[in-house]
Amino acid sequence: MKNKTLKRFEGYAYIGIWLFGFFALQLAPLVTSFWYSFTDFEMIGGADFIGIRNYADIFKDPDFLLSLKVTFEYVLIAVPGKIIFALIIALILSQKLRAINIFRTLYYIPSILGGSVAISVLWRYLFMEGGVINNLLSVIGIQGPNWLGDPKYALGTISLVTIWQFGSSMLLFLAGIKQIPVTYYEAAEIDGASKLRRFFSITLPELSPIVLFNVVMQMINAFQEFTPAYVITNGGPLKSTYLYGLMLYETGFEFFHMGYASALSWILFAIIIAFTLVIFKFSELHVHYGDE
Amino acid sequence: MKKALAIMITVLMVCSMVFAGGSKEADPEDLTLRMLWWGGDTRHTPTLAALDKYTERTGISVEGEYAGWDGYYQRIVTQLAGGTAPDLIQIDQPWFNELCSRGEVFAEIDTSIVDTSTFDKAFLDGYCTYEGKLMALPTGVNVNTLVIDKNMLADAGIDPEIQWTWENLISEGKKIHEKDPSKYLLAATPDHVRFWFEVLMAQIAGGVVGPDKELLFTADQAEQAFNYIQSLYDNGIIPPYSQTSLFYQRLNEDPNWINGQYAACWSWVSSMDKDIGQRDMETTQFPVMENAVDTGVLMRPSQLYVVASNSASVTESLKLLEYMVNDEEAAAILGTARGIPSSSKALKVLEDANVLSELTVTATNEGIAQAGKPQSTWQMNSEVIDTMQQVIDEFGYGRTTAREAAESMVTSLESTLSRL
Repeated sequence: MKNKTLKRFEGYAYIGIWLFGFFALQLAPLVTSFWYSFTDFEMIGGADFIGIRNYADIFKDPDFLLSLKVTFEYVLIAVPGKIIFALIIALILSQKLRAINIFRTLYYIPSILGGSVAISVLWRYLFMEGGVINNLLSVIGIQGPNWLGDPKYALGTISLVTIWQFGSSMLLFLAGIKQIPVTYYEAAEIDGASKLRRFFSITLPELSPIVLFNVVMQMINAFQEFTPAYVITNGGPLKSTYLYGLMLYETGFEFFHMGYASALSWILFAIIIAFTLVIFKFSELHVHYGDE
Repeated sequence: MKKALAIMITVLMVCSMVFAGGSKEADPEDLTLRMLWWGGDTRHTPTLAALDKYTERTGISVEGEYAGWDGYYQRIVTQLAGGTAPDLIQIDQPWFNELCSRGEVFAEIDTSIVDTSTFDKAFLDGYCTYEGKLMALPTGVNVNTLVIDKNMLADAGIDPEIQWTWENLISEGKKIHEKDPSKYLLAATPDHVRFWFEVLMAQIAGGVVGPDKELLFTADQAEQAFNYIQSLYDNGIIPPYSQTSLFYQRLNEDPNWINGQYAACWSWVSSMDKDIGQRDMETTQFPVMENAVDTGVLMRPSQLYVVASNSASVTESLKLLEYMVNDEEAAAILGTARGIPSSSKALKVLEDANVLSELTVTATNEGIAQAGKPQSTWQMNSEVIDTMQQVIDEFGYGRTTAREAAESMVTSLESTLSRL
């Protein structure tokens, strides 16, 4: 009998540490922030319940609409950019070439350095007016634009940081490509299919579950992007890189309107959920699984 | 079921014990105080040495917690909110009212423990008092200064000892850009353009926002300031906005500044070392127009010391504060780590020891001689600053004319102030 009780708790003991972490560090803040989003909490001092006023105010806030617009633009540039780039590199690296492992490692390095502050600072010096990139361009006679100082180009330049970190998506594609049976390609070759035809009729459909996974994950990350916009341009010039994450940070940690910031983050959460659901719905038509 | 309940209660109790933290008044014998400040090595090293000396003398150990400027404000607000704030904290003066208004986060300074007679009374009343209670002490005196590279002036044929006026700032200053189109008289990152706007508004109208949350200027007066700033751009006195916008609040990282493309910049005495870096620079006074309402030159405490109200021992923390501001030995160790000391006792020690750097003393005296009225706490509010900056950004990028910017400054500030 006693042994049986012990057995029942044994499993919980194994995941106990994780459970503690989940409850204390994830669920508790999550629930608290939901509560705060209905209060006027400002860090120090109490939090008074104010109903849905935060949410009502947010939809009248011009900064909210602006940052939402900037964030959508960013997602639309960065996510497809990163995935297409990762796929192209994965296709190249899946070839049987000499020392291919060294190249695979090299291409993964940007993802390790990632969205760190140091890289963002480096990016600033690369793309500033009179920076390295423009100096290089001037050597071949091109007058480069003011990448980060001109509101027209700043968001695109920031997106490059994200696209440049294509490593993890690339690895997934690489693994996926390896999974595709060689016989498909052999059959296609006998039938006289061109390389392009083979890519669109075999590789891409076979990779579609991985494309789906990458799109969803990268989209979720892109909606929450913060570091490059904060460190490189601080939202400028003229708020052209004022991402949603930046607005959230400013509201919460510079002006300390924590209640308002909590509401902002729940709206972002809803947006991300909605887009994820749409993508999954859409995927039913376009994603092919091997066992179907 | 009962068993499950018992387990849950036990877990909750353990958790509450873990998170509740220390008790209120600890035994002085094994008391450890914590002190938090921001700065660089020139501040960290003497402060840690002074704290060691204090431990040696009293047996009370003090843990120094120190960091850079980035994220410092976020850190103390989080710690104050969570009840984990250190006992003695260095804060920036503009935060004082904002933090005090959020509840009893700081302890009142007990003048029977800390000798406040060594401080200038107006300074304490103006900057360290909240609702009639003395809640902070100034670490040192800080004033605005104009840091200037006199060699660059001489190279362009400008008299290095020139007394700047708003007129000759343009008529003389443009010689630099005329001689070398990549060079400018004044550094002007977006935040610096805002500082100059505030200086101009102080001289034209007495300030931007008054103590009762009221605007001190009219759109016509703001237009006058924007027209002047426009002429700074038109005459090549300051570099174009698109060139400097990337270095918002980071002039000292701008290669153009470091490499001597700009001859001068607005600064605080307490942070001018950071701006000057490796360059050979001196300081000078600000231009002031005839009939100026105020000079716009700011003087305030370099930083403030406050004691957290939930300190393990408020009494012991106040004793430590007394040591940091008034003790002769501490003053000798600390030197000018926090600017020229405000306490007359500490100042005398440094004067006798002849350790005050000439540049700091000159700049401070120049600033004090020109100092105007302090800005209202509303003008220093982070959201008001953000609003001003947005209007100035639009203007700097040429999206608005001087008139439009002036009108937008009035309406945007009114809207922000009504929300606060």
